[in-house]
Amino acid sequence: MIFSSELIKGTLKTILLKLLADNSKMYGYEITQKVKEMTADRIQLTEGALYPTLHALEQEGLVTTQIEYIGKRVRKYYSLSPAGKSRSQEKLSEFADFVNTMKILLDLDLKTA
Amino acid sequence: MYCITDEQIDYILNDIRRGGIETEDLQLNLLDHICCIMEQELKEDGDFERLYHATARQFYKTNMRELEEETINLLTFKHYYAMKKVMIGSGALSAAILTTGSIFKLAHWPGAGILLFAGIVSFSLLFLPLLFVLKAREAKNARDRMVTGLACLLGIVFSLATLFTVMHWPGSSMLWFTGIGLSAFVLLPVYFFTGIRQPETKLNTILMSILLIGITGLQFTMMNTRPSLSQTYVRVQSWMQSESLLKAMQTSHQSEQAAGINALCEQIKSLAIGHAATDPVHELTEGRPGDYFFHNGEGLQLIARLHQAVTAYNSQHNAEMIPIENSLLTADPEHLGHVYSNVSILSSITQIQLYLAHAENNGLASAK
Repeated sequence: MIFSSELIKGTLKTILLKLLADNSKMYGYEITQKVKEMTADRIQLTEGALYPTLHALEQEGLVTTQIEYIGKRVRKYYSLSPAGKSRSQEKLSEFADFVNTMKILLDLDLKTA
Repeated sequence: MYCITDEQIDYILNDIRRGGIETEDLQLNLLDHICCIMEQELKEDGDFERLYHATARQFYKTNMRELEEETINLLTFKHYYAMKKVMIGSGALSAAILTTGSIFKLAHWPGAGILLFAGIVSFSLLFLPLLFVLKAREAKNARDRMVTGLACLLGIVFSLATLFTVMHWPGSSMLWFTGIGLSAFVLLPVYFFTGIRQPETKLNTILMSILLIGITGLQFTMMNTRPSLSQTYVRVQSWMQSESLLKAMQTSHQSEQAAGINALCEQIKSLAIGHAATDPVHELTEGRPGDYFFHNGEGLQLIARLHQAVTAYNSQHNAEMIPIENSLLTADPEHLGHVYSNVSILSSITQIQLYLAHAENNGLASAK
């Protein structure tokens, strides 16, 4: 089963911040592959959502970038800035709270789900 | 693993650019991303172009530009909802303040000026620009964006023109003409000729264009029926001429009765000049007898007293030394504020004084 893009949309920033916190630097394609691999293909980030969000994170100063030339093309690596590190913590604990609240609200049993 | 050639890289980059991706960063990101996928999936003898288009197709719903727009939106509209709230709030507030201000102005209550000023400023400099920014974002194409921009600009010009007129600031005529010109020669043609071509907007375009022509025409008519500045200026000068003629004719030898009439006249005149005493030419060319003349009915009371004094003077001399018919004295007090401008009141009073000076001088001459 692949999750709907509506479900992913609200958590995309959290996912990106967490991935960059665990991996010192990543580029776009690598991020999509990593997510696919970690979730056994159940979450597939779309390019249409990924890149706009990465640019927004860069503008907010949460990530820094580094350019690498590969022949004629350019690869842009993203890594967390100090501000991004603390934001990543905030986002994660906010999401944990959210999941717990949803558990109560929707009466879910997370062990069997 | 397949290795993408330089020509293929150029091909992809060109296609991305043609697709509407203008941000260079985004172009490079997408290029690398597509290359990575292609290198993973393309066989040595595979069809490069077909695989490329199939891959790129997964990036968007209807066209590549969506990515560019989404990026710009995320970068520029972090405060979208706050802006929307401010827009609605400022719009409602300015409408309320403007209505209150207009009522105050009609009733000659104090504070009308400040209310109108605040209402128009927040309407034209806060609400309309925000409306443009938010509406332009929702606009589907360049045409809608341009029409929205022009319409908002026009709204701002007309609001400021109204403000300048109400506050008697110089330059209001300029603003009105700019607004009317902008409406008739820019907004209307752009709106009409771009809208008429599409069948689905045709009827609306025709209707809205007719309305626009109507409104612009009405405004133009209104501009022309307001007394022009130069005309009023001439009348102010003519009054000032009468005033210096009066000074030349008045002598220190005048009857007690005449002195009383003159005192009343001076009172009325200073009331009509009001706070403009320092710069009568400028203030009088713009204004009507405002709140200060009719405030507490003071102006009307003085005119009534002058009427009595003049009638008494005439009857004592058994002749109509100062003609009352067709003068300010017999004007319907109800209509005085609408028919007479400040300059007309001044001229009328000075004429009465001239008749009086003439009568007094004649009296002196016959007494000798």
